[in-house]
Amino acid sequence: MKQTSKTNWKTTLFIIGALTPAMLVSLGLVVYPMINQIIRSFKDPKEGTFTFDNYVYLFTNKISSRAIWYTVEISVLTVLLTISISYLLAMYLRFSNSKISKSIGNMYLLPRFIPSLVAVYAMKQIISDSGFLNRVSLLFDENSALYNFKPGMLYNTKGILFMNCWFNIPFATMIIVAALAGISESVVESAQDVGAGKALIFFKIILPLSYKDVLIAATFVFMSNISSFTTPYLIGASQRKMLGVYLREQFGRGKYEIAAATSVIIFILCSISAVVYLYTNMKEQAWEEN
Amino acid sequence: MDDTIKLSVINMTKLYGNGDGVKNVDLDVHTGELVTLLGPSGCGKTTILRTIGGFIDLTDGDITIDGKSIITLPPEKRPTSMVFQSYNLWPHMTVHDNLEFGLKLRKIPKETREQKIAEGLRLVKMSGFEKKYPGQMSGGQQQRIAIARSLILEPEVLLLDEPFSALDAKIRMEMREELRKIQTDLNITVIFVTHDQEEAMMLSDRIVVMSKGHIEQQGTPRQIYDNPVSRFVAGFIGEMNFLDDGDGKQIAVRPEHIAVTKGTGGILDGTVRTVMMLGHYLEMTLDTEKGLVKVYITSDQANQFEKGDHVTLNFDHTYSYNKE
Repeated sequence: MKQTSKTNWKTTLFIIGALTPAMLVSLGLVVYPMINQIIRSFKDPKEGTFTFDNYVYLFTNKISSRAIWYTVEISVLTVLLTISISYLLAMYLRFSNSKISKSIGNMYLLPRFIPSLVAVYAMKQIISDSGFLNRVSLLFDENSALYNFKPGMLYNTKGILFMNCWFNIPFATMIIVAALAGISESVVESAQDVGAGKALIFFKIILPLSYKDVLIAATFVFMSNISSFTTPYLIGASQRKMLGVYLREQFGRGKYEIAAATSVIIFILCSISAVVYLYTNMKEQAWEEN
Repeated sequence: MDDTIKLSVINMTKLYGNGDGVKNVDLDVHTGELVTLLGPSGCGKTTILRTIGGFIDLTDGDITIDGKSIITLPPEKRPTSMVFQSYNLWPHMTVHDNLEFGLKLRKIPKETREQKIAEGLRLVKMSGFEKKYPGQMSGGQQQRIAIARSLILEPEVLLLDEPFSALDAKIRMEMREELRKIQTDLNITVIFVTHDQEEAMMLSDRIVVMSKGHIEQQGTPRQIYDNPVSRFVAGFIGEMNFLDDGDGKQIAVRPEHIAVTKGTGGILDGTVRTVMMLGHYLEMTLDTEKGLVKVYITSDQANQFEKGDHVTLNFDHTYSYNKE
């Protein structure tokens, strides 16, 4: 008995020893900076005393409060746009056997492999008011409605949303395609067989069998857009900023406490969708229990 | 079964992009008849079934039910119902909801719906499973529900696409018997697709043997077993020994049509290679100058033979085919 407990004790020590480096790394690189930021966000920059002022400032100052709501607005709109387009695209990829569908199926992930900075600059070349589209339109007759076409998509909400879709549609489509691939052909065909038309098959069969993955895709898209920086920094408007850009600005000005409070707000917004993600993932439908 | 023709497939052709498909198929199915489309994979049997169900468009020809063409109707408008090989049921709906879905679409009042669901479950011996989800049932149980789901819609023709092939041998056997019973009790018209000749023999009023996109032979199980019209049918239905007869001809003889005696002097001599117990009879394989020959013997006879014995064979009944 004594022998066993001695071995157990040794094993425990070994496990602790083996895990310590990993623990230290995550404590040092994740937990410590997070706590540090949270503490800092409650500090008065001059006195170093505890205060809510940084948060009060963020929610009352015109520019920063606008940034918070603008970020939420952009993220929600991005999720709605991305998910609707991705769902349609995924349905097309799953249920069409045409050559076009197959070639889109081979290509749709390509944008994931292009670094975001490169992608945004490249897109700027195309959609700017003196960019590629505009140059092409100059080839038309001067009286044509298409002549001197200016997309008007840079430095405003449209541009950010467009770019966000560009980044997020491949990812969301990939998740939804995988979910739809799990719905077997005979499940759809037998619904058709008993008399269901296309709309009914979608709402009664396909949507209930895939909505969970759609929600998961939505939470990921939401999270990555709450803290996005590259796109709003390069093609966003200067008078309406997203939180990522605002955070960098405060940091650049040495307002570390405001910056810390901003990052806590970003963190909280992300947590909301993390909760949705965990909830949908953990909630088993009755039919999934065996 | 009566003499009226329920379903007609008239000169049907369906060609796929790669040239595969079925060509010039003609088939009449009588009311209350159970017809099996039998053949190896790729012979076109499923293509015919799915064309009748409306899941595949035909290239040429016509399909009629009660004399009316159905080829322009989408699957949801056809008076047919199909049971697929597997994963038929909607996994997110209970058994009850699976059965109710089609009835609701037909705007059948709630009370009648419930009666029909109860009746359907009783037919397939699944009463009491209303609240279960497909994932909570075995493969056999799921297929019973799938059959009930089709039956309660009272289709003019019930289409079954290898519905039992994913099930265990024992369950498969039970399901065949039950299907046959339900089919005769309700006098429903059924087209059954299978690659299993034993299943086809057990179930069918009539078997349609298919090969490479055309019908090789059709007839009752007895007719097909006793008089296979081609080398292909002879090889596909039941056990058959093929012995070269020169001039590109082959003699075919069923194992039960061979008499074995010790010694020499018969049509063909051989030595015993194996004796295998198959239940109430035994299968013996013999080495002969024309290759391996399989014979069936009774257990009484079995005591006379041992591995290595020299024996001679006489044939009661033979067929002759051109070598393929």
